[in-house]
Amino acid sequence: MRNLRQTCFRAALIAGLSVFAAHAQAQPAGVLRVAVGADPATFDPAFNDLPVGNAVDLAVLEGLFRLDPQNNVLKSLASDHSFSPDGKVFTVKIMAGRTFSNGDPLNAEAVAASFNRLLDEKVGSIYRGLYASLGTVRAVGEDTVEFHLAEPNGHILLLLASTAASIVNVKAVKEMGAEYGRKPVGSGPYKVDRFVGGEGFRLVPNPTYKGEYPATLKSIDFIVVPEDGSRMALLETGAADIVERVPPESMAAINALKDAKVVTPPSMFSINMEMVLKGSLTDARVRKALNLAVDREGIAKGVLGGLGTPSVGMVGPGTQDELRKTFPPIPFDPAGAKKLLAEAGYKPGQLLLSFTCPTGRYIKDVQVCQALAGSFENVGIKATPLVVDRGTWSKVIGMEPAARTDNMGMVGRATAGMDYTLYRLFFTGVGANRTGYSNPRVDALLKEGRATTDPAKQKAIYGEVQEIVWNDQPFLFLWYQTQAIGVSNRVQGFAVQPNETLVFDKVTLK
Amino acid sequence: MFVLRRLSSALPTLFAVSLLVFFFVDLIPGDPAQILAGPTASNEEIESIRTFLGLNEPLLTRYAQFLRGIFDPSVATSFRTHRPVVVELAERLPNTLIVSIGGLALGVLLGTVAGIVCAMRPGGIADAAITVLTLAGISMPIYWLGLLGIWYFAVHLGWLPAAGASTPLHFVLPILVIATRPAAMFSRLVATSLTESMGRDYLDTARAKGLSETRVVLFHALRNSLIAAVSVAGVQFGGMLGGSVVTETVFGIPGVGRLLVDAVSRADYPVIQYAILMFAVFFVAINLVTDLLTQWLDPRTREQERPA
Repeated sequence: MRNLRQTCFRAALIAGLSVFAAHAQAQPAGVLRVAVGADPATFDPAFNDLPVGNAVDLAVLEGLFRLDPQNNVLKSLASDHSFSPDGKVFTVKIMAGRTFSNGDPLNAEAVAASFNRLLDEKVGSIYRGLYASLGTVRAVGEDTVEFHLAEPNGHILLLLASTAASIVNVKAVKEMGAEYGRKPVGSGPYKVDRFVGGEGFRLVPNPTYKGEYPATLKSIDFIVVPEDGSRMALLETGAADIVERVPPESMAAINALKDAKVVTPPSMFSINMEMVLKGSLTDARVRKALNLAVDREGIAKGVLGGLGTPSVGMVGPGTQDELRKTFPPIPFDPAGAKKLLAEAGYKPGQLLLSFTCPTGRYIKDVQVCQALAGSFENVGIKATPLVVDRGTWSKVIGMEPAARTDNMGMVGRATAGMDYTLYRLFFTGVGANRTGYSNPRVDALLKEGRATTDPAKQKAIYGEVQEIVWNDQPFLFLWYQTQAIGVSNRVQGFAVQPNETLVFDKVTLK
Repeated sequence: MFVLRRLSSALPTLFAVSLLVFFFVDLIPGDPAQILAGPTASNEEIESIRTFLGLNEPLLTRYAQFLRGIFDPSVATSFRTHRPVVVELAERLPNTLIVSIGGLALGVLLGTVAGIVCAMRPGGIADAAITVLTLAGISMPIYWLGLLGIWYFAVHLGWLPAAGASTPLHFVLPILVIATRPAAMFSRLVATSLTESMGRDYLDTARAKGLSETRVVLFHALRNSLIAAVSVAGVQFGGMLGGSVVTETVFGIPGVGRLLVDAVSRADYPVIQYAILMFAVFFVAINLVTDLLTQWLDPRTREQERPA
């Protein structure tokens, strides 16, 4: 009897301790300090356009779906989803019993209201056009949402997994007005506790969160420091645990620190010179000569300090890798380039080209442009780099091809979707096709790919599109930018999406 | 009367500034709608955002709206945050003023002391050292000096925070750095002015009364020397407000300068326009205060203002 009592007591003690241990483990602990370079003016997903804003939206809000650190689509608020037989109605079942951080219910009606706000012309969201294909969104009962699509769209999951499609509390938006952008009310594991414009903001655990990624940290303190040197000093002095955008010249100094290192996760940022397909650049031999003239490896190492990987396809890594096709790197072959130019009828010094580059938009963009000019000169092209301010650059690269007076423009693309990237850039006559590229076979494939929901068929379709574009070379394909983030050794479980979104799901501090 | 006359003459100036600010900002390269929409946006999407922002309205209608925004903050909102610009500016202004006023005050104090030392012992070691430091202070760009300060005081010695504005300690380094230029200028100005005053008759009278040389300099000569210094201080303060763009960027201080830099890079027209207009109002006010101070220090200028 005594033994039985002892056994029961021991069992109860062990059970109690294990519950306590589990509880203690689940408690958020530690303050993570993150220094970012850009000032997130708003976290409202309808207007945010910065990676730091995406990181906050991922932590503070939830979507029906979400992207993991490898950009794979996962369910978030959605419990199930299906297409109607004609592919025009997409139905999503949502998790029951979820609430926003202010206690408001997160039901089908709240989800539909959030999407209808995004699509409302009067709201002026910068993503309204991107999401226009969602058509109209209706709540059916408490837990079902129907998207009555404007046209069949086989890429809707990816669209819904972007932080731009996060579910906002429309009632709170109406009450708070523009202030909602600073302290969004969502259902994510964290909520914004404090926001001082230009200085920083703090995320703290959301006690009403019920999802799979509960807060692991007591708070995440962000500090906004635009100057690279000052931001790196924060890591060096131990005032920050994570610093984003380590410049190439600071990498050695950070790596030499005892308590921190630079991590270089892949980025989907694909940097290219997008050609204006008129005049001499309508000749495929000239385009190929330009591509052969560039020593990508040399520039990536010598100019970018290793923060670039030569392109092996138009779309960067992380852009739906299951549909992505890669090719052998374009060789550095100045002799071949000269030969092609001669075949196209250009003697050395006869071909004149100018290209527009931004200042401070991409890693070492100005220096890269000078290096490219040297590469072109090397094969007998008279090249003029036009290095301009960001305002002028955005104006030039946004012009219709007919209105352009330059021949190429440096642009980085990082869009989490094959359809979004390829359709907008290469479908004939689309308003975002700034090169003037037109290929009937590509048009047909892009149309088919958009309406196809079968992943195997999509793979074949987009594989062919990527191959045609890679061979046609409407771009001077350059490299994929590499992210460089300084991380203290005490940070564990930190991840970064290829679109530069910091992921704090599993971060703990030693 | 003088104040009223000056204020009435400021109004046309500010109206001219509003015209220049509005129309010049409109000429900045880059379309706000296109920048907001991003490089992959279609023409239709850009057009839709342009309409939403009211950029399709005629220029004069937009100017009228801009003037209305001076009196009705609800119509003067940022393109990016949609918050009233006056709120954005009011949140940032204290930080800018702390750095600018703190920098100027420290600069004036250090410069005046250095100037007095130079004037009292011309050609001495202190004079030579201060002259060298002054030249360095005037020549060094704030940007470079700021990074040097961060490296030495924050990284190397660990005494001060590298960047941010969350505690009073965060303002020490920026104020020290920004004070170098006015300190250098004032030390030269005060030293030259004092040296000129030293031989004047009224100082001999003071000396004849048995006052010590220090009292003669501090209580008699310095007041006259400060007349020129006050005018320079006004101009310096204006320059510091303009220079806040650089200081705030280097030290990560959330001030109006940083707000302006961000607004320019994102073509956030309302923020740029109202921020510049606010700076113009400050310049006018500083000029007025400078003139009043000069009059107070130098009675001769008051005489000139009397009606004939």
